Amino acid sequence: MAIVGTVAKIFAPAKEAPLSERDLDWAVVQKVQAGNVAAFDQLVQKYREHLFSVIYNMTSNREDASDLTQDTLIKAFQAIGRFQGKSSFFTWIYRIAINTTMTFLKKRSRRRYISYENIDEEVSNSEIVERLTATNRTEKGVLVQELQEKLNDSLQKLSPKHRTVVVLHEIEGLEHAEIAEITKTSVGTVRSRLHYAKQQLQLYLKDYLA
Amino acid sequence: MAKHSNDPQADINIEDLLRLKRAERPSDEFWSDFDRDLHQRMLQTLVKKDPWYLQMLRGITGRMGQNVGIAAAAALVAMLVVRPVFVGTAPAGVSVADSAAVESAAAPVAVAMAELTYSEATSSASAHDYAHDVISADEAIQDAGYTRDFGMERIQMASYDAVAYSADSAHSRASFATSGVASLVF
Repeated sequence: MAIVGTVAKIFAPAKEAPLSERDLDWAVVQKVQAGNVAAFDQLVQKYREHLFSVIYNMTSNREDASDLTQDTLIKAFQAIGRFQGKSSFFTWIYRIAINTTMTFLKKRSRRRYISYENIDEEVSNSEIVERLTATNRTEKGVLVQELQEKLNDSLQKLSPKHRTVVVLHEIEGLEHAEIAEITKTSVGTVRSRLHYAKQQLQLYLKDYLA
Repeated sequence: MAKHSNDPQADINIEDLLRLKRAERPSDEFWSDFDRDLHQRMLQTLVKKDPWYLQMLRGITGRMGQNVGIAAAAALVAMLVVRPVFVGTAPAGVSVADSAAVESAAAPVAVAMAELTYSEATSSASAHDYAHDVISADEAIQDAGYTRDFGMERIQMASYDAVAYSADSAHSRASFATSGVASLVF
C-alpha cells in the first residue's frame, strides 16, 4: 500500500511552483526578444523607481538622475537582444545603471548644485524624526530639510564605490551577494566597503547619532 | 545644530538615518513626464534602427571610408616627412617645385663652382703668369712630338689688370693654369 502511494505520488501531476521574480522577468524579456516591444514597458514600470532611487542617491541631483535612469532603460532596451538570462534581469539592469552612473560621475569634473527630491509625507511622521525633533526642540519641517541636506552631503563625500555599496545595501536593501554580483566584486569586498563607508558616515553625521 | 547624543532615549544609528532616504520619492507628475520622454527616446531608437543588410553595408563602407582616411593621413604625413629632405638637398634659391631644374642644373653649377674656387686659389699664380707678356706655346708643341706646320707664333697676352677680365675668363684662366697649354677658350 505504501509502495502504491509512493508510485502514485511520483506519477501525480507536479504542483507548479510559484514563479520567482527572476522567472517572471525572464518571461517578459523573452517576449521583448521575440519582437513584442510593448512588453518592455512592464519592465520599465517595475524597475524605473528603484533605478531612479539608486541613481539619485549616487548623484544627489534630480535632473541628472532622471536623465541617467532614461539612459539606463534605453541601453537595456537596445541590448536586451543579447541578454541570455544567465543572471537575473534585475542584476543585469542594476549593473547597467551603476556603470552608467559611474561613467557620468567620472566625467562630472566638479560637484553640481544638489537639487533635492521631495521627502515623502510619512517621513515627517516617522519615529526617528519624532525623536530627533523632541530632543532637538526644532520645528519638524526645518529638521527634516536639514537632515536631508546633511545626508546627501555626507553621501557625496564618500567615494563612488563606497557610495554604491551604501546606497544598494542601506537604502535599496539589497543583499551583500546581490551587490557583489552587480558590482562584479566579492562579498568580502562589499562588506569591507560597507564597513568603511559606515564609519565615514558616522563621522559626518555624528550630530544626529546617539 | 545641537548634538542629539545627550538624550538617553535617543538610539538612532546610521542605518536609521539612511533609511530616511528611501522616502525621497518623485511626484506622480514627475513620472508622467519621465514616461513621456522615455517613450519618445525609445521611439527614436526604434526608428533609427535599420535592417541588418543596411547596417552591414554601412559597416563595410564605414571600414572602407576609414581605410581611405588612414591612407590620406599617411600620404599627408609622408609629404611632411619627405618635404624637408628635398628642401635640404636643393641649392639655395631653388624651390622644391623646381626640382627638375635642380637635377639638370646641379652638375654644371657644381663644376663652375669648383672652377671658380680653383681659379681663386690659383689667382696669385695666374696673376704672376699674366705678368709675362709672352706665353710660348712652342715648347708644349714640341713635347707633343709633332712638327708644327705654322710658324712660331707667340700669343701676345695683354698684361691687363686681372680685374679687366670678364667672368667668362675665369674658366680660361683655370684651364690655362692647369694644362700649361695656351689654348684659351672663350
